[in-house]
Amino acid sequence: MADIKSMIIIEKHYLLQAGTEALIQEIPGIMHVKSYSGDEPHLTAIILKHKPDLLIINPFSLSPENAALPRKIHSKQNTNLIALIRKEERNQLSFDYSEIFYYEDSKYVLEKKLRNKIGSQKNEETNHKELSQRELTILKQIVLGLTHQEIADKLFLSVHTVNTHRKHINKKLGIKTVSGLSVYAIMNHIVKLEELANNAR
Amino acid sequence: MLIHENMKLADVIQHDHTLVPIINRFGIHLGFGNDNIAEICQKHHLNIDFFLTILNAFHDIHYFPKEQLQRFPAAMLIDYLQKAHRYFLDDKIPEISALMDKMAEEYPLDETTFRLIRNFFTEYAQELKKHIQREEEKIYPYVLYLEKVFLDGSIDEYLRNQIRSYPISEYESEHENMEEKLFDLKNILIKYLPEPRKDELGYQILRELFTLEKEMNEHARIENLILIPKVKAMEKILKNKEI
Repeated sequence: MADIKSMIIIEKHYLLQAGTEALIQEIPGIMHVKSYSGDEPHLTAIILKHKPDLLIINPFSLSPENAALPRKIHSKQNTNLIALIRKEERNQLSFDYSEIFYYEDSKYVLEKKLRNKIGSQKNEETNHKELSQRELTILKQIVLGLTHQEIADKLFLSVHTVNTHRKHINKKLGIKTVSGLSVYAIMNHIVKLEELANNAR
Repeated sequence: MLIHENMKLADVIQHDHTLVPIINRFGIHLGFGNDNIAEICQKHHLNIDFFLTILNAFHDIHYFPKEQLQRFPAAMLIDYLQKAHRYFLDDKIPEISALMDKMAEEYPLDETTFRLIRNFFTEYAQELKKHIQREEEKIYPYVLYLEKVFLDGSIDEYLRNQIRSYPISEYESEHENMEEKLFDLKNILIKYLPEPRKDELGYQILRELFTLEKEMNEHARIENLILIPKVKAMEKILKNKEI
């Protein structure tokens, strides 16, 4: 599953906005797309609050109030910025975007550019499907009902490390809730039912 | 597509059949004939602005009702939401439960694993029930009271406190956890269950789960898009009156 969860499009022309959305909907794993037209008041603040993983933006759609938005987003957060422009406009970009979608691009070119962006954000570690030994140990503790703090204490890890492992586990398995993880753990003999019953809260 | 009152309801349903459960909640059932929406609303004594707002909000995720919001009472909306709750609790959940019971026969699962998956769905259903109860026992009565005061203008201490400590933003974010459980259940079916003896059941359950997920999202959207703005607008006006 892709690491990119949320994406924002800023484009004032409805047809282009809708077209870009439709393109994105075809890529699995993107959970959330929101579109703006570029003239909304306080748009920079809205985007900064949203912290999208990816921002597709037509800089020429921005109202004067929002003109500095791309630069601000770029300097403040870890958002991937893609420009959406005509080919002839490429020399007018005042800014180094990580990718450019041209109006003239074909569907598959755009899809490829988009996939590259999503791929480049993927954490190496989460590319493996199988859980590591450490992750298995932590999964077991989670399923037995320990809090992240308790697991950290027990295994001499920082809570931060446990949180990171948990995120990897969720991503690799595609299961987020503790009860979902329990089903997985029992089915794969990572814990036995008796152990679960003993620890039932 | 923006649904409007001159359209024939039959054409609307041809275009988007997932609206059938929605019109059912308004007392309109299949076999409703050739009338347009205005005529149907008249026959069924429905507030046409309300009916159109609900249909459009379900049909188009980009739809945003603005001035129409003021043209129907919150009580009408709450009556509708409660009907939707009955649909989820009394129809959908038992339907899916029954399908999941069949898994014991169609999947090569040992008793323990079957119980576990079954319980997972039961847990989900219980959470949903609790969430709905909280809405119906705490939030809706507040909204109804708010609207009553709003209309007759006699604000009292109780309401003053409620407005100050109102949990409506809390309520806005509560739907998320429910979504996660459904997501997990789908992935368990897709990725981790052993192969079923026949393919049909797995697909049937999955289809029901996807539909439920879509309907729950739409339901949450109605609450977030229509109920909450209405409540906030009333609260704001009442607060301003105070000063």
